[in-house]
Amino acid sequence: MERKHFLKSLLVGAVSAPALLTACGKESEEVTPSTGSTGTGTTGSGSCAVAPTETEGPFPTKAPASYVRSDITDGRTGYPLTVKINVTNTNNSCAALAGALVDIWHCDRDGNYSEYGGTGMQSTNYQALHFLRGRQTTNSNGQVTFTSIFPGWYSGRATHIHVHIYSASGQSLKVTQIAFPEGTGSAVAAVNGYSKGMTGYTSNSSDNVFSDGVSLELATVTGNTTSGFELSITFGVPA
Amino acid sequence: MSRLITLCYRKVIDAGSAHPWDKLVFEDTYQEFRMQAQYFNQEKKYRTFGQLLQHAPGAEQLHFLVSAAVRGYLQQLNGLVPDILDNLGRHFLRFSKFQFEIINSDVLDKSRHQVAVNFYSEPLRWHDTVGSYLLVSDAQASGPELLTNMFQLQPYLIIHSLQTAD
Repeated sequence: MERKHFLKSLLVGAVSAPALLTACGKESEEVTPSTGSTGTGTTGSGSCAVAPTETEGPFPTKAPASYVRSDITDGRTGYPLTVKINVTNTNNSCAALAGALVDIWHCDRDGNYSEYGGTGMQSTNYQALHFLRGRQTTNSNGQVTFTSIFPGWYSGRATHIHVHIYSASGQSLKVTQIAFPEGTGSAVAAVNGYSKGMTGYTSNSSDNVFSDGVSLELATVTGNTTSGFELSITFGVPA
Repeated sequence: MSRLITLCYRKVIDAGSAHPWDKLVFEDTYQEFRMQAQYFNQEKKYRTFGQLLQHAPGAEQLHFLVSAAVRGYLQQLNGLVPDILDNLGRHFLRFSKFQFEIINSDVLDKSRHQVAVNFYSEPLRWHDTVGSYLLVSDAQASGPELLTNMFQLQPYLIIHSLQTAD
């Protein structure tokens, strides 16, 4: 009786064995490297993919925009230029405005701006720096200082530096441009457009931004091509 | 026949993003967008990125201009593409190139801000496909034995370039 039962169980086992083998066969078929085409199975619906199994981290920390720096040269060559901008509050008797954000940007010696893509949208190395763009916060004297190079020029424009002044919370207070004195003895004449020369240069009076008068946008520029230049200007903003 | 491939992972970040890195990128790119958009919107006529693109000359530069807000966070990834795991559950995909894009935004409604970081991987050698997994090795690796890795294609991850030199 007991022996019969044992044999019967063997038989059951024998019958079920092929089914198991079939199941195994099916599974092993799935992990057989397929050649040529990509797998026909579900490609990552999420639920069948492994979950992250790593030690936590790195932990992200608050990072300022990469504009925030005083030296915006980023390897661009040219005559050194220190840019000092004073910001005053026209709503407060032109007292110094502390805590304002000041963005500046300008072209390099060849007249090119830092940007990738534009309409083209190409990729860029994440460690590569954009050049000649910076952001500083005004100190208690309402002043920011940038270290840069003397800008070159490009067709249709006089030498200029773009400026955008924001409140501490980022509200736009003023969009403007800095104009440079020109003519004999000026820094613009001394730099002489770097290798380009000044043929075809647009003077302030012909420039479509500055031609309506540059009295409020004209900087004081001192220095020379040996020791570099220093630019200073004051902008009043309604803060 | 092995092929050299690069992958592109488009990481979309919006108000629903939950991870700390994503949230920081969301907050800071929105703040930068609101600041930079003012340059193209000095008469305050527009409120969405779509309107700016359509009506404000030069507004397409906002992709580049706002990308400055994300660069510091890219440095913190130590060269590894986030979210994409091998079949051991580890981050493995190395990148050096990225492209930031603003998908949508609205200067008055933060919840409509949506951006993407496109990560372009370093080249990989694609040897074979096992089930739904790509069998790859480092493009530089050579020798009789190669260390390989396996991962699955998934939404927002594509083979971005293919080189069939050998």
